[in-house]
Amino acid sequence: MKQNTFYLLLGIVGLIEVGLFWLSVVLRNPLIITAGFIMGVGLLYVARMTVTDIREDERAVLISQKAGSRTLEVFWVLFFAVSLGSAVIGFGTPLGIPRPREFPRDFPRDEPHLGYFGIFQMIMLCCIAFLYIGFRVYYARKYGEWDSDEE
Amino acid sequence: MKNKIKVFRAMHDLTQEALAQELKVTRQTILAIEKGKYDPSLELAFKIARFFGVSVEEVFLYD
Repeated sequence: MKQNTFYLLLGIVGLIEVGLFWLSVVLRNPLIITAGFIMGVGLLYVARMTVTDIREDERAVLISQKAGSRTLEVFWVLFFAVSLGSAVIGFGTPLGIPRPREFPRDFPRDEPHLGYFGIFQMIMLCCIAFLYIGFRVYYARKYGEWDSDEE
Repeated sequence: MKNKIKVFRAMHDLTQEALAQELKVTRQTILAIEKGKYDPSLELAFKIARFFGVSVEEVFLYD
């Protein structure tokens, strides 16, 4: 598989994931997006292994590793802090966890729930992509990705 | 870490792209090493030295 074909596949999978997400919302079935996301990522991992014209040397690998590790370093602190806050609210109110056989039809309930924190966490999860891109740009610049040629 | 890759490249009349192809890395990596923005791995350092037929110490200088 050519690298451009992989990027095309990446875009298609992304669109399908968005579709599955809203299908999950409409049907109130979280299993659709959960299973769909795992399958989508699995498909992309397999497809990436078949890319033949990829040109990635040790510097490119270092940039990816540094950006990935720094993203996680920052993200887990932010995410954990927000989750702790939501846990405080959660323990201060009735949890309203539905019994398994009722789930997901009775969800969300009219009782107090963690809706706003859920949304905030979802936004943060989306922000991880931008955080990664930011770190990637930083390290790519640090290791001379866009330096001009002196020849 | 300083290096003399540019000097050796000039002595062998090689472009960055040509050297990069020989070493199976990207031209940007050669450029980054020459500018001192990236320190190559030991393996790549030895490959560079071996390609020019000299020792690692002759190409790379630890300052």
